[in-house]
Amino acid sequence: MLKGFQTVFVKELKELIRDPKILLGMLIIPLVLFPILGMVLGYAAETAQEQAEKATLLVVDNDGGNWSQVLVTFMNASMKTIVVNNLTPQQVLEQDLLTKNNSTQFIEIPAGFSANMTAHTSGNRNIKATVNVYGVFQGGGIFSEIGSSVINVLVSGFNRYIAPDVVQTTQSTIIKGEIQTGVDPATLSGLMMTQTIAIPVTIMIMLTYSMQIAATSVAMEKEEKTLETLLTLPVDRFAILMGKLASTIIVAGIASVAMMIGYNYMLGSITTQIPTELSVDLVKLGLVPSPLGYLLLGISLFTTLLSGLALAVIMSAFASDVRSATALVGYIYPVIFIPAMALMYLDINTLPLAVKAVFFAIPYSQPIIASKAVIMGDYTTATFGIIYVAIFTVVVMYAASRLFATEKILTAKLKFKKAGKTATEQLE
Amino acid sequence: MSLAVEVKSLVKQFGNIRALDGVTFNIKEGEIFGLIGPNGAGKTTTLRIISTLILPTSGAVKIFGLDVVNQASEVRKVISYLPEEAGAYPNLSGWEYLEFMAKFSKGSASDVKRAIEEAAAISGLGERLKDKAKTYSKGMKRRLLVARALMTRPKLAILDEPASGLDVLHAYHVREIIKRYVKNHGVTVLLSSHNMLEVEYLCDRVALVNKGKIVVEGAPQKLKAEFNSANLEEVFAKVVGYA
Repeated sequence: MLKGFQTVFVKELKELIRDPKILLGMLIIPLVLFPILGMVLGYAAETAQEQAEKATLLVVDNDGGNWSQVLVTFMNASMKTIVVNNLTPQQVLEQDLLTKNNSTQFIEIPAGFSANMTAHTSGNRNIKATVNVYGVFQGGGIFSEIGSSVINVLVSGFNRYIAPDVVQTTQSTIIKGEIQTGVDPATLSGLMMTQTIAIPVTIMIMLTYSMQIAATSVAMEKEEKTLETLLTLPVDRFAILMGKLASTIIVAGIASVAMMIGYNYMLGSITTQIPTELSVDLVKLGLVPSPLGYLLLGISLFTTLLSGLALAVIMSAFASDVRSATALVGYIYPVIFIPAMALMYLDINTLPLAVKAVFFAIPYSQPIIASKAVIMGDYTTATFGIIYVAIFTVVVMYAASRLFATEKILTAKLKFKKAGKTATEQLE
Repeated sequence: MSLAVEVKSLVKQFGNIRALDGVTFNIKEGEIFGLIGPNGAGKTTTLRIISTLILPTSGAVKIFGLDVVNQASEVRKVISYLPEEAGAYPNLSGWEYLEFMAKFSKGSASDVKRAIEEAAAISGLGERLKDKAKTYSKGMKRRLLVARALMTRPKLAILDEPASGLDVLHAYHVREIIKRYVKNHGVTVLLSSHNMLEVEYLCDRVALVNKGKIVVEGAPQKLKAEFNSANLEEVFAKVVGYA
């Protein structure tokens, strides 16, 4: 064995294990973060499934024949079905029947369905019956297409019951109140999934990276022993804080613009690379943000970054050096990761009020919520988020300015040790 | 002669530890006053309170009549503080560091330039001022920082262990800077040290601090005579009962 290896190894191990900040970080991630994520994912899948099962299926029976009755009866055995007659899909939307029946999807049984069914079952296998499936696109999470898959399962079940492939489905999606014929909600969800994952991941990376940088701003002054001198200069301490924040604001601003450009490019790439036979164009479908949407998303990102940076500056004031500062800032990461990862899988609008409130209360989830909201043209949610984060940022910055105005900027430490020992460290 | 510093019944409590326990002393204008004592005696805590960095638990400190608690921002205009373990920004050159610091105290560009040139002369670093501070030796860095503390010609310079950790030549240079600067510009200096030789050489008057209290105060020569000692070290040992 290398000479001295054991001595160094034991010393390093002691130092690592005895540093509560590192130990806490090591325990928090595996023992708290992952179980919480597991619960969130399980809950997300369960909620989506339950909602799909509980959902009311609206059937527009424009056929009125025997076979349409059979199909309705079959479906009603699996899920609650409400039947209306002789309406065009457009009329269903105009009469707001989906909202009135608490449904997000409907099936149109077109005229001639029964005739085709009869022909098929009489031996003419080339004639097939068709039902038209319409689903509302909600811009939800990864599990959001479970609803439309339930209908497909039902139709397949019906086919097995009657004859293989007797009923075919056409898929259409209702986006922002408009029927987009031939756009399969599942295909659309697949496309939008890129965004569902990319936005939270990018925001997580940006926030954690810029907070690490901001955390060093005060800690570096402490480590390099320049803070005391700075604080005795004839300059307003708020000006020192603002100077430090302003430089990080520039970084945040550049990062926000860069992200908007990259995001726009990403959506553009998705649109151009879709095979034409799918006939799904996100721009034509209105599923890319408008200029106002981009602006709101950019502002949301900027204010969130700013609040994160201000918080990182405050936390770094409690650390004596850069290493401790980055370790301390690490405690904020679960609050960033959990909502970001959860919102990849969940549609915030489908969550119970309490869970929804928790996610809205976490400032770092706002850009993710905003990214979904602006695509759906929901500018109110995005604006509310911006106002909320702005207020949060002002509160954090006020706390930071108070901290800078007192001796706590020099003496503040997170007390993992007994008070007496900490006080002794402050004497010299 | 008017008083530059008035410290009255100063107490500082850190948790259960009483770092300062009724410290009282005065410094006259143009005087070099030394606080001396062992590590943990309360020297740095006293200087930090006078420099407006931390608040006293009780007691009062006035700098040229300005209260350090209620008029902290005014006090900062007349003082310059050099902490014991001060550093410079590693990625700024010596020149940039001096410029950064001078801009806080000096209004016009010409005043800033004059202060930097003065600091350059005080530090004696010459062309090395163009190099980044991270390339400086400990001695060079300390000379830069002492020059920084004096370049603005503060009414009161507070120097915590000004020659701390320096070799003989660098320490000599730093002491000479202080002595010369006070003589030329009439700056009042409050310094702390546990180097008795340094204190004897520099200070007009000294206060010996032990366990948060001033145990004796006076001119070095007077104290040596009073305690029949060869140097201040011996005076200190006799006062605290070691000798």
